[in-house]
Amino acid sequence: MIANKRATLSASLLMLVLTGCSSTVTMEGPTIPQPHVEKLPVDVALRIPEQFNNFVHEENVLGKESWTIDLGGANASFFKQLFGFLFENVTIIGPDDDARDYTFDALIEPSIEGFEFSVPNQSKTEAFAVWIRYRLRIFDSEGNNASNWTVSAYGKSMKEGMGGADSLQRAAVLAMRDAAALIIMQMDKATQISALADGPAASPIVQPATMAAGGDSDDMEIDAEDDMGIFAIGGIDDDAE
Amino acid sequence: MMQSKVPGSTGAVSMLALLSLGLGGCVTSRVEDARENVTGLNEGESVVIMAKSYHQGNETEADYISCVENALGRGSKGLRVIPRQQFVDSLFPWFEPRTAPAETKGLTKLMERPGVSEVVKGLGVRYIIWLDGDTETVAQGGSLSCAAGPGGGGCFGFAWWQKDADYEASVWDLDGYETAGTVSADVSGTSFLPALVVPIPLIARTQSAACKGLAQQLRAFIVQ
Repeated sequence: MIANKRATLSASLLMLVLTGCSSTVTMEGPTIPQPHVEKLPVDVALRIPEQFNNFVHEENVLGKESWTIDLGGANASFFKQLFGFLFENVTIIGPDDDARDYTFDALIEPSIEGFEFSVPNQSKTEAFAVWIRYRLRIFDSEGNNASNWTVSAYGKSMKEGMGGADSLQRAAVLAMRDAAALIIMQMDKATQISALADGPAASPIVQPATMAAGGDSDDMEIDAEDDMGIFAIGGIDDDAE
Repeated sequence: MMQSKVPGSTGAVSMLALLSLGLGGCVTSRVEDARENVTGLNEGESVVIMAKSYHQGNETEADYISCVENALGRGSKGLRVIPRQQFVDSLFPWFEPRTAPAETKGLTKLMERPGVSEVVKGLGVRYIIWLDGDTETVAQGGSLSCAAGPGGGGCFGFAWWQKDADYEASVWDLDGYETAGTVSADVSGTSFLPALVVPIPLIARTQSAACKGLAQQLRAFIVQ
């Protein structure tokens, strides 16, 4: 009996030691307010890839702290809301759906190209910071790749309380909100997506068969010259409309 | 069942607590303003406190902004302060860290965007106050060690640290889309922690002093 209790106590202590330096951040559907912009008159299909819907970032910081950031479905629901605010009509397509079964002017396929973060131990400040690099691939109604746009977003939150999971979560939410602000203001300028309402792109970048692959976009070759990354600070002069 | 009281030790603890509350570290502060235009606040008009963008390296703490918000709105002469998050959400995405105007010259174009001036008017916002700066530990020293054993424990030694709180508030007048002026608070405080068995913290409330000083000066600056 006593031996059992000791074993249980030892196991509990061991678990405490093992989990003492690991933190898990789980994102729970961040939302954005209704933006003050006019909707773009484009019928859009939004295809959420599997990777985007189940994104988990794991990192061991300085060999001491282990962090797991589970974005889960937060990104997907966030982009659904964002594009709902931005476009007249949005149809959600599953990762295995065939896009040819749907009618749209443009198909948008977001993905996460990079996720990085820093904790106070690394930056020697009191701040948690998160960088997310999204890629938006845009196809026209015939499946031609019309545009690739890289969106680099940044969020920072000061450390509050013990641990830091809440602060890191807040930094990630701010990074997503930062991406939303940039996409709202620069989407049309960077991708000319509204031109697709008038018909397919004049000069396709990749073969139509690529889109019919049903979300297997990782195999797609991307022409680096067609990638556009815009990072603007301190007010945007260009019209969002 | 009897409960025993030890009046002597309770009294000593109370005295130490009172001592550390009554005594604080040394704080020196300088608060000043630089006016560029005439200000004033009409009935129903409000102000909003914002932090300059962290995209530009600003590190103003969220609790400092909340402190200034509360201090400005407190009391019978308190100003009407719109909560920062409400203002930012109401005008999404125009006051995000990435998109907020960096200068007053961007205000005219911003107000022409759909729905923006209506929201600002609806909230009654007359002034946007942009806070910049932070509180940093600039020096520290001393030595303090604590030990505990079966018979009890205690701390011995002396530690000190100095914090500097430098903040600047730029006041934008949405009436004429111009800068009304700036108010700055420069506060330096040194805290001490002597310990002879029991540590007695003598804390200099540097950030709190910078908050109170800046808020008082801001109120005087705006209302005149």
